[in-house]
Amino acid sequence: MEHLDLLRAWIPGRLDDFLFYLLAVMAIPMALGVLFDRTIIRSGFLLIGVFGSICGLFLVLQAQFLALAQLMIYAVGITLVVVIALMLTNPKLEKEAQPGTAHQQLGSFLVAGALFFTIYCALRSESWPLSSEAVSPDVQTIGMALTTTYALPFEFASVLLLAALVGAIMLAKAERAISDKEEPSKEAGEQNQPATLFERDTTVSSTRR
Amino acid sequence: MIANAAEIRKFTILSWGWLTIIFGLVWAVSWLVGVAIPLLLANVQADWARLVTEICQVLTPLVAVMVFIPINAMFMVLAERRALALFTVRKGPNRVGPDGFLQTLADALKLLFKEDITPRGADAFMFTLAPIIFFAPSIFGALPLLAAVTNNHNLFQVVNLPTGIFYVLAVSSVPVVGIVMGGWASNNKYSLVGALRSAAQAISYEIPLVLSIITVCLMAGTLDVVKIAEMQKGGLLNWNILGGGALSGLNKYFQALAAGQADAHQMLSQYYPDWGSVIATVVLIACTVLLVGIYLTGACAEINRIPFDLPEAESELVSGYNTEYSGIKFAIFFLAEFTNLFIVSTIATVMFLGGGDCPLPDWLNPLTNPAVTQPVGKFFSFFTDRIHLIDPSTFFPAIWVIIKVYALVFFAILVRGTLPRFRIDQLMAFGWKRLVPLSLIIFVLVTFAKGAVRLHV
Amino acid sequence: MIDRGEKKGQFLGAVSVSYGLIALIIVVLFASGLFTQMMESINLKGYPDIYAFVAILFLGTFAILFARGEPVAVMAIGTIASFFVLTVGQEPLVRYLTLAAVLFSIGMYGMVVSRNAVRVLMSIELMLNAVNLNLVAFARYIDPIHLRGQVFAVFILTVAAAEAAVGLAIVLAIYRNTATVDMERFKLLKW
Repeated sequence: MEHLDLLRAWIPGRLDDFLFYLLAVMAIPMALGVLFDRTIIRSGFLLIGVFGSICGLFLVLQAQFLALAQLMIYAVGITLVVVIALMLTNPKLEKEAQPGTAHQQLGSFLVAGALFFTIYCALRSESWPLSSEAVSPDVQTIGMALTTTYALPFEFASVLLLAALVGAIMLAKAERAISDKEEPSKEAGEQNQPATLFERDTTVSSTRR
Repeated sequence: MIANAAEIRKFTILSWGWLTIIFGLVWAVSWLVGVAIPLLLANVQADWARLVTEICQVLTPLVAVMVFIPINAMFMVLAERRALALFTVRKGPNRVGPDGFLQTLADALKLLFKEDITPRGADAFMFTLAPIIFFAPSIFGALPLLAAVTNNHNLFQVVNLPTGIFYVLAVSSVPVVGIVMGGWASNNKYSLVGALRSAAQAISYEIPLVLSIITVCLMAGTLDVVKIAEMQKGGLLNWNILGGGALSGLNKYFQALAAGQADAHQMLSQYYPDWGSVIATVVLIACTVLLVGIYLTGACAEINRIPFDLPEAESELVSGYNTEYSGIKFAIFFLAEFTNLFIVSTIATVMFLGGGDCPLPDWLNPLTNPAVTQPVGKFFSFFTDRIHLIDPSTFFPAIWVIIKVYALVFFAILVRGTLPRFRIDQLMAFGWKRLVPLSLIIFVLVTFAKGAVRLHV
Repeated sequence: MIDRGEKKGQFLGAVSVSYGLIALIIVVLFASGLFTQMMESINLKGYPDIYAFVAILFLGTFAILFARGEPVAVMAIGTIASFFVLTVGQEPLVRYLTLAAVLFSIGMYGMVVSRNAVRVLMSIELMLNAVNLNLVAFARYIDPIHLRGQVFAVFILTVAAAEAAVGLAIVLAIYRNTATVDMERFKLLKW
């Protein structure tokens, strides 16, 4: 790390700023592209780019653990699922119609602009109690906080994840649940016949019968 | 008798030849950048000299990896073809160079000069970006492992991150984005189906993979790969594959016995005071052996090796996500695939197989005996002290790492030559219904068993 | 399949390019301090960054509405330019918060405007990420000892994962029944 410090001294205090602006200039157009790219699957990939550059910003902010979690969960996990969902819901890979009418667009643009301006005024008028202390090692600190002070919310988060897992599976396999119900009436008396969606399996089991 | 003993001999000679070339070259380059240039500049009292030295030291790991990856991939492709030929009692490529030695060099040259086609209707930008996204993580993912496999050598301490293995796992999960991107951008149905399969497979098998690594980290109490490798020093019984250090008390006992200490039995009762700790040790050993299995399975699926190579199943999908790729882009895909295999084997070596540790315990090992090491040390002292060509604390661990890693690679090739391919629904069912619950159960078991016995005493 | 050449030509039209050049000039003027002097010379003192922001916004509106520039390109250029103007010379914390605010507003806009349900979900993910960036910046500059911001960011990560899973499952279920993901056509409960 001392080598990097030396490099930082050589480029006096500019490395963080430079990286920040580089990543910000990458993130903002990609975020706009997520909204406006007419080829919707490409906007899914742009979302990966946005999350990747935010991961870089976390690294600049010395939050190594969160940056990696961001990369692993957001940029690869969630966004890949989003991309798959995009491909499934848009099987012909066609271009999208223009989102909304011009009227709608102008209104929402004004709302979003006003929102941004309000946030900006609020954060400029605040005098932040900045702390100049060194950042403590993040893995240990987060680990201790999650297992002591925030142990209860952590448990709740795990329950939430479990509920989301079960719920997502139930929602996604709704069709199969119906066919499960129908099947016993069709094949009454049959035992140990797993109900599958796959044609090949049913043929195999029928020949076995 | 073995029918193709001659072929096996040829294969062995070829492997050792290539390995010598690869690691000699990597060694020479990192010595040049990391040691020779700073030594030359040591007497120059100028700011630029100091800066160049620092930059050289930061760049050393990167340069070493960049030199290593292409040659290593060339060797691994050749080794894979020759080894598969061995398993099926064929000859394999044996025309180019002495006994097929340079076959993959010729292949690489051919790929470089091939026309680079972008199919009509493809998204040209993403089509180009996909191989890069697929390949880049294998460079950056390998960096922290360098510190672990070289016994924390001075040159590579820069890359030893506090988040260690988590970094490696996070970065090595990125390539699937490149696969999906390439599959979609090719404007080809086979590519797209291959990419979708790859995404589903990678996300599913990442869970058991990460859980198995996390269990090891739980036992070690750290994410730092160098610390995990150091903990396992001192012979086979200390390795994580045998109970994650639960047997190190036994190791100590054997050492005391070998040294002829009288209170050896007392030692045993000190490390394993009651039946609970013995049971915990047995449970831990069973768990860690299973963990290695889970890790290797998950890793195979993660890097799309047979029996999990559904994304590029040639009997169903032509060639899967890289159907439309040709020329240098295909070469990059190819390179990254074999590099990923190497990285996965390296992670297994560091996490489970003791890193650069000799499998013989210290009390049996002649290499740690002073009677052997003294004269050898004298012989090497010119190289070690004057021009820093060899670092004995790194040299032997590096050789052990090479042996272990390529043994795992050979195992992967053996699996490829042996097992048939899964069907996609079997694959998903196996991942979610078998591996995920199994790894969760092991995680819970290890959490409890770890409290009853002292690890890595 | 898709005629990209035509689209590219539209995207980098003359209006967008000239708007980009003007925005660049404003940014350079602002960064070198000349803009402040100019504003002071016409008796506008106090908030030069706000004035520059308003100028960029006004020019951008003009370029879209009256000069028929490509809206996306103009919007991207305007956002980046105003982001520069609003953050150059500020505290690092304020910079990060401004970037988070920009991303949040973009996500908000996308959530309202998009007709594709999956794109709405993507916008929500973008907003959650902006919040995460906020929290991590707070942890770095205000609370570097306890890093409470990062702990909250971990929780947001889990909530976002759950949200994405359930949201996408709902979208897929709806798509299976109605064969569309157009938000305008989800009118099952409307009467």
